[in-house]
Amino acid sequence: MSEFDFLGQVTIGQYLPGDSPLHRMDPRAKLLMALAWIAAVVACRSLLGMALAALAVAAGLWVARIPARFALRSVWRALPFLALLAVLQVLVMPGNRTGAVLWQWWIVTVTTGGLLAGALLVARFVVLILAISLLSFTTGTNDLMHGLEHLLRPLQRLGLPAHELALTFDIALRSVPLLALEAERLAKAQASRGGEFGGAKGGAIRRVQQALPLLVPLFLGALQRAERLALAMEARGYVGGRGRTQWVALRMRSADYVALALVLGIAVAVVLV
Amino acid sequence: METSSRVRKIAVAGVLGAISVLLGATHWGFIPWISGAALTIMHVPVIIGAVLEGPVVGLVIGLIFGVFSLIQAAIAPTGPTDVWFTNPLVSVLPRLLIGPVAWLVYQGVRRVHEVAGLAVAGVAGSLTNTLLVLGMLGVLGHVPWAALPPIIWANGLPEAVASAVITVVVVAAWKRIAIGRKQGSSI
Repeated sequence: MSEFDFLGQVTIGQYLPGDSPLHRMDPRAKLLMALAWIAAVVACRSLLGMALAALAVAAGLWVARIPARFALRSVWRALPFLALLAVLQVLVMPGNRTGAVLWQWWIVTVTTGGLLAGALLVARFVVLILAISLLSFTTGTNDLMHGLEHLLRPLQRLGLPAHELALTFDIALRSVPLLALEAERLAKAQASRGGEFGGAKGGAIRRVQQALPLLVPLFLGALQRAERLALAMEARGYVGGRGRTQWVALRMRSADYVALALVLGIAVAVVLV
Repeated sequence: METSSRVRKIAVAGVLGAISVLLGATHWGFIPWISGAALTIMHVPVIIGAVLEGPVVGLVIGLIFGVFSLIQAAIAPTGPTDVWFTNPLVSVLPRLLIGPVAWLVYQGVRRVHEVAGLAVAGVAGSLTNTLLVLGMLGVLGHVPWAALPPIIWANGLPEAVASAVITVVVVAAWKRIAIGRKQGSSI
């Protein structure tokens, strides 16, 4: 019956409980660090900077005591394609044909510029994968949502509904397992009546038609759920973020500031080197 | 539909965002297709949300869809192309516009014909996703420009058709719009 087990396939927020310094950090600091990191890695144009970035992420994984095997699992899965992309970068992209020509055959030209672009591409993706994984390994979804709401708060003056946005994310995260259960029930109900899905033949319309008996009740059930939720919230006097106090108060400690400053410094260095 | 409250918008955006996440995580959102790459319908909740509750809700669901596809690409890559989606310029930015575009188109066409408006919104939202994501891949130099039109033909157009069908059926069922001779009872 494993084909009906949709809940088991939902693997978002792979949080690894732990008590490392990174786990204990303020989620706001961690979010800012991850953002700075992503921006720096995307903007980075030199191998030296990328090496620095990779080293720093490795240090982060070590501090968080994430087993290397665990962290590298997602990198491993992406590796064959990364290799292919790198080869394409080196051989095909004409924009990369700069620098000294190392090897030439027919339409294939390998230049130092091409090799550099390929290496950078692979390094960039590996560091990105590791950095995003590191954030999700060390921060539970509740903490993340809290941190997000606090970070967005200054934007509230500009009319951005920070509290509402964080609440929406929270509702989405909490609804996923419920909807997964509902999807499972729907699939079983359809299967018990002889419905089939997957491995279908036919054109686009035909295939969509085969998916409809599952999708339509799923959507309608979800919309009904939203309606009930809104009614329940209004009935309990929910008025939004104004004047709301929180059970868990976030506090930035000096260690958080130090870590944040450190990461921002490295991020700037990664871009500038 | 009566005027929509703020709380209701929050709830609808959250739940439809969850559907987008669920479709991605369970691979229900991928319909096997002849071109090898699967058709994806993960953006359909964005379009439906925009049509039902307006452009802001569409934007927020698009944000959830985008951020989730970024996280999934990084943590649990399902295919080789997932590597590209670890870049927020590819995975998040284009998805923000799906909802607003679908809503604008729907508002324009619904004055003429409600159901046609839904179908066109489905197509427009889906093409926004296809063109902007592929365009961004082109701009970043991951895919040569010449390789893009075949992908649009092979995947983008069937995806647009699929998303139009689903948008029409779901919204018509939700708003109780009678379609066709059987007044919608056949869907």
